[in-house]
Amino acid sequence: MHSHDAYVGIGSNVGNRLSTIESALVQLAKLGDIVAVSSVYRTRPWGRTDQPWFANAVARLRTPRSPFALFRGLKDAERLLGREPGERWGPRVIDLDLLLYDDLDVDEAGLVVPHARMHERAFVLVPLAEIDARFDALRDALGAANLSGVELLAPAPIARAARAVGESETAMSDEVGTLGERIRSLAAVFADEEVVRAKIERPGSEIELRRSANRQRSSPDSGGRSGSSEPGRLDTIKADLVGIFHLSRPTPAQGESFESDRELGYIEALGIRTPVHSMGGGRLASIAASDGEPVEYGQPLFVMARG
Amino acid sequence: MIANRGEIALRINRACQELGVATVAIFSEADRDSMHVRQADEAFCVGPGPAARSYLNIPNIISTALVTHCDAVHPGYGFLAENARFAEICADHGLNFIGPRARVIALMGDKATAKRLAREAGAATTPGSDILASVDAAQAAATQIGYPIMLKATAGGGGRGMRIVEEESDLARAYAGATAEAEASFKDGRVYLEKLIVAPRHVEVQVLGDEYGAIMHLGERDCSVQKPSHQKLVEETPAPNLSDETRAKLHEMALRVSRHVDYTNAGTLEFLVAGDDVYFMEMNTRIQVEHPVTEMVYNIDLVKEQIRIAAGEPLGYVQSDLIARGHAIECRINAEDPENNFAPAAGGVTKLVFPGGPGIRVDTHLYAGATIPPYYDSMLAKIVAFGDTRSVAIARMERALRETQVEGIPTTIDVCLDILTRPEFQGGRYDIELLVREPLLARQTRQ
Repeated sequence: MHSHDAYVGIGSNVGNRLSTIESALVQLAKLGDIVAVSSVYRTRPWGRTDQPWFANAVARLRTPRSPFALFRGLKDAERLLGREPGERWGPRVIDLDLLLYDDLDVDEAGLVVPHARMHERAFVLVPLAEIDARFDALRDALGAANLSGVELLAPAPIARAARAVGESETAMSDEVGTLGERIRSLAAVFADEEVVRAKIERPGSEIELRRSANRQRSSPDSGGRSGSSEPGRLDTIKADLVGIFHLSRPTPAQGESFESDRELGYIEALGIRTPVHSMGGGRLASIAASDGEPVEYGQPLFVMARG
Repeated sequence: MIANRGEIALRINRACQELGVATVAIFSEADRDSMHVRQADEAFCVGPGPAARSYLNIPNIISTALVTHCDAVHPGYGFLAENARFAEICADHGLNFIGPRARVIALMGDKATAKRLAREAGAATTPGSDILASVDAAQAAATQIGYPIMLKATAGGGGRGMRIVEEESDLARAYAGATAEAEASFKDGRVYLEKLIVAPRHVEVQVLGDEYGAIMHLGERDCSVQKPSHQKLVEETPAPNLSDETRAKLHEMALRVSRHVDYTNAGTLEFLVAGDDVYFMEMNTRIQVEHPVTEMVYNIDLVKEQIRIAAGEPLGYVQSDLIARGHAIECRINAEDPENNFAPAAGGVTKLVFPGGPGIRVDTHLYAGATIPPYYDSMLAKIVAFGDTRSVAIARMERALRETQVEGIPTTIDVCLDILTRPEFQGGRYDIELLVREPLLARQTRQ
């Protein structure tokens, strides 16, 4: 049923932007299945430049909705998240733009798809190229001057995970603040191709992600192991201090296996490097943090599959 | 960066927003859903629930400020606010600590040094003795100071090694008891004595100083309504039933002591008042919980002033520009069980209604559905009532407390209502023993 492929641009430049974007993802999940989310980028405002910086991201949806139904759904979600009608290019709590919808080309009744001028906006193309390599060339065509206005703000492990996730099913509650995090941590777990089904339950809400059978077979990484349906034991290695995260050299690769304990990265804080170890042997299922970016206490850094 | 949690983190965030300053919040794993995390521009988890590993975790807090490119750190109250070492570390890392200089925090943080400095500046402190070498020395000192006196262990704390002595005939026995108890508790039997101020009032003076030597006071606050553990519950400004002379003496002493230590930023000097006698107790080198009452009558934003001062701006006004108008009262709504000796409570808030209307201000981080973690201060909200006169402010506070509904956890709302309706409070004739003398007056009369 979820036969349409849509890309939605998410932007915010008022208040706690990261938390707003997480709330927006929860609303998007009601309009279809989120199959990929880019990292969140800090970007210079476009048009009116005398306003605060934006946080921008792009999400990819599988949706049963028609383009107009999806467009209306996005406008409703904007209102629900506190957007008020305001001037064009002005500050906004939340901006949800329908960028692409299958191969559709439409311009009527206020809906323009593909989104006008998205091909010249770094704040769209950088996150878009992150989750869909077809846009790499367009992004690179923008040149360094344009791209310098876009910096990584919060890396999104879900983007990496989503390449392997065929289908996700989410049961949503109204508890938006923590939900985004739960989705992200689920996605980090799901980065391991051997995981077929994962679920987080809490009083009042639950989230479940399930990998579809045909996706699993078509995933190039899963190779001959696709028959395996038993999930391995997964350990998430988290930051135990605040600092800048770095991958150790030689850089560990996602999917790489090692027999014994190995230093995977380190956190630099107050001039001191604290190594992060794999805590024993296993397969590195996911690198959940970005090299050179700040990490907070308890932030997932690596997911190790044991046994 | 806002290095705190709860209502004061929100209070600082509000001041920053109005000044157009971007904020970074820190939080513990127990505070992930807390309001201050949502309101800040960015938020970083710095450790697990227990404060020692999160809100007191200096390396993680400094590292957060550095990786998020903060310019300044506001410590709020509690946690690291009066930690001179933390202020020094901030400076070492190029972070502007919003408060007085580290050296002044250290000087005033040591109670004995603070009292010595206050005396140098001409303020009176509670009369007392040096370490007493013998019972004879104790007798001589007590006779000179005048009874009643209190014997205190120099290594002391928690009431151990303490004895109240009403008259000379009791002194020898009390001295023996205090030294023995101090020896047993602290392996240090040395004691000294202080004049016992019977049922004093706790009155404090707010000061602000800039980095160019201007120091001003913003009146006094009466904080005599205290729980039996001597934690403040209700505060008001101006202090009721204070003679003009005593009030002026308090303000003058506060300014003299502040000038003597070249005080900068916001601070509060606490005094004991007994009749017309005023004794300096200590100085709090930070913003106080009860600062909103001062803000109401002076129509000033003290947190914004703190940030302006730290940014190197001059105060830009003189003492005679500061004119108080009206009367303000604050009630602290704590998650505590008054029927169980104010034991702190944790849990979920199932229903929440805060008061509104003319002259009411509510500073809180609470929301319906919030969970109170067990690790931190039990204060949930501060309700402040302002009126042209004290009686208008009291009437407003009464109706505001009746409007307030918090369900799911016990609170101090009824205790505050009880206090407000007591004749002693209404007449402005109360001291720090109010809740010790009559803890359950309202409940008894209701039955």
